[in-house]
Amino acid sequence: MERQTLARSLPAARTGRRILTAYLFLLPALLLLGVFTFYPVTFGTALSLFEYDVITPPRFVGLANFRALWTDRYFWIALENSIKYLAVVPVLQGCAIVLAIWVHRSTRGLGWLRAAYYLPVVTSIVVVGILWRWLYDDAGLVNFILLRLGVVGAPVHWLASPGIALYAVMFVTLWKGLGYYMVIYLAGLEAIPPGYAEAAAIDGATAVQQLRHVTLPLLRPSILLATTLSAISALRVFEEVYVMTSGGPVYSTYTMFYYMFDQAFGALHLGYAAALGVVLAAVTIGLSVAGFRLLREGGLSYY
Amino acid sequence: MQNNPTIRRSLAALCLALLSTSGVAAAAPQARIEFWTISLQPFFTSYIQSLIAQYERAHPAVTIRWIDVPAQAIDQKLLAAVAGGVAPDVVNLNTEGTVRMAQAHALVDMDAAVPATARARYFPNIWSSARYLGSVYGIPWYVVPNILAYNQTVFRRAGLDPAHPPASDDAFIQAATAIKERTRIYGFMPNVDGIRFLRVFQEDGLPILSPDRRRAVFNGPDHVRLLARYVALFKRDAFPADTLQRGYLGATERYAAGQLAMLTTGPQFLLRVRSDSPDVYKDTRVAAYPLGRARVLDLPTMALAVPLQSRHRAEAVEFALFVTNDTNQLAFCHLVVIFPSTLAAARDSYFTRGGATPEEQARAIAAGELGIARDLTVVVPHSDELFRVFRETIESAFFGRMTPQQALDWAVKEWNAKL
Repeated sequence: MERQTLARSLPAARTGRRILTAYLFLLPALLLLGVFTFYPVTFGTALSLFEYDVITPPRFVGLANFRALWTDRYFWIALENSIKYLAVVPVLQGCAIVLAIWVHRSTRGLGWLRAAYYLPVVTSIVVVGILWRWLYDDAGLVNFILLRLGVVGAPVHWLASPGIALYAVMFVTLWKGLGYYMVIYLAGLEAIPPGYAEAAAIDGATAVQQLRHVTLPLLRPSILLATTLSAISALRVFEEVYVMTSGGPVYSTYTMFYYMFDQAFGALHLGYAAALGVVLAAVTIGLSVAGFRLLREGGLSYY
Repeated sequence: MQNNPTIRRSLAALCLALLSTSGVAAAAPQARIEFWTISLQPFFTSYIQSLIAQYERAHPAVTIRWIDVPAQAIDQKLLAAVAGGVAPDVVNLNTEGTVRMAQAHALVDMDAAVPATARARYFPNIWSSARYLGSVYGIPWYVVPNILAYNQTVFRRAGLDPAHPPASDDAFIQAATAIKERTRIYGFMPNVDGIRFLRVFQEDGLPILSPDRRRAVFNGPDHVRLLARYVALFKRDAFPADTLQRGYLGATERYAAGQLAMLTTGPQFLLRVRSDSPDVYKDTRVAAYPLGRARVLDLPTMALAVPLQSRHRAEAVEFALFVTNDTNQLAFCHLVVIFPSTLAAARDSYFTRGGATPEEQARAIAAGELGIARDLTVVVPHSDELFRVFRETIESAFFGRMTPQQALDWAVKEWNAKL
């Protein structure tokens, strides 16, 4: 009897120890997440219900900050620009997939190609911003090439025209992010067994048909991950705007994150900035959920 | 022997005597003052260190900890420090920064903290630079009136005489337009970005607020005419399209690259041209700032403020007065082309002596301008909201979203709703 109980409890004890060990391994990461993610998120959400200027103690105002957003024209301008900025996501993902397939198939100079496209990713965004400010200058390389090719008759004011500036900044985001997403898709492509493509080829599928009916469906998990990540980044865009346009001209590049920064550190309206952050988080979560719903199935296994 | 109390007492007395003579038991400093400056390292490191050493020698109970903060980071760093309850005791701020912190009730009222005799040492108009709701929140340190720097080679190419640079605002615009037309090099990048157009109005003698400061009045016919003039120049490509985004920094970069003929700037900028662009420096000449109809020019002021959080307010104020005294300001002015905020220091013949280099000439020119210069920073409540509206107004007019009249009417309406 005793021996039986002992036999039952031994694996249970072993399992308990294994679970404990697993949690102990997780603990450092959980602690860091707790301090640098969960606490700020909770604190920020609570702060959105207060009026706080750093110097005087916070004053509870309930939902007043959210109500004020409703009538704040700069909030709507910033929200509109942030939503417009999402247009970069499909273009970026499309380019990254094409690039990944090209780099995946290419045999000559493969390492060089991968490195070349990844270089902007590891370059500081401030350096990238300043570099592109020069390239976009009236006398910069972009205008020089366009003028030489006869595409334009006069220099284009890339960052100084209200109708163009946002798209010019978006292009920099695309240029910088391309290599990062290319690596995600490369990993996805590497995971697809070559047998699928071979079977499709034997069945007479063309390259385009293989891409449409084999590669892309199997790449869905990577597409979901990369799309969600780039949508979040697009909504959170700040550095490019800060370095290249400061939100101008006429607030055409004034994004949600930039407005948040302005409110928090320019105007000292930290509660209001927190409310902006909550709205931005809600939009981001909504988009992520929609993305997951849309691209949930596919890949090599369901998840 | 071990238990002999006389020997024990003697030994203890000996130890105490040794400790006191060796300094180990010397009284610890009673006040540790943290002093923040803006971008003074590495060029002025030895100057600030010698100031601190001198002060600490005269005040053994005080130690100064100096921290130099880059100009772009000072606002954020100060806020973070205040939020964390570790604000500095003395902090260098410009007028806008001082007023913003004063609006947040974070600074010591210097009218109350500084004795009248000490206050009388400063130029009254400069002392009042950081005045908000009747009180002054910063002890003025140094000031930098603008001058005109111009490229004589570009002047000659445009058929203009470098010996006769434009002396008025009108002549300045005419020269800039002629230079652009004749050389295809931009003549100027006017200071019209952000809220700087408020200064353009003031330099032309146009009011921003009503005398009781309760209403905005910058939509009169003269204001509209002035804005329309600059909008027309912008449309004619008389100045670069990115002027409204790049502002003063863009203008200085363009001038240093030889792509701009004239620059209204603080004389200290010449040192940068000398080190970064020797060719442009060789061609650079200086002249008085081209004045508008009001014959007044802006006088950006650097001040030393004391946060209310400081635990050693009296010592902090005393140290700030020491840094800004006549002798120390004069010594600082010998290192770079800046001007003192105190009457006695400014009387020194050093400022009017002139010389051969553009900096020396600029110093003499700027000294002559001090009498008509004043800090033109507009001090209003809710400044962040009002200035955001003003920025949109000016940009809307420049980019044709509204006519100058519509833009200024809209801004005045928005300002009046909040003033």
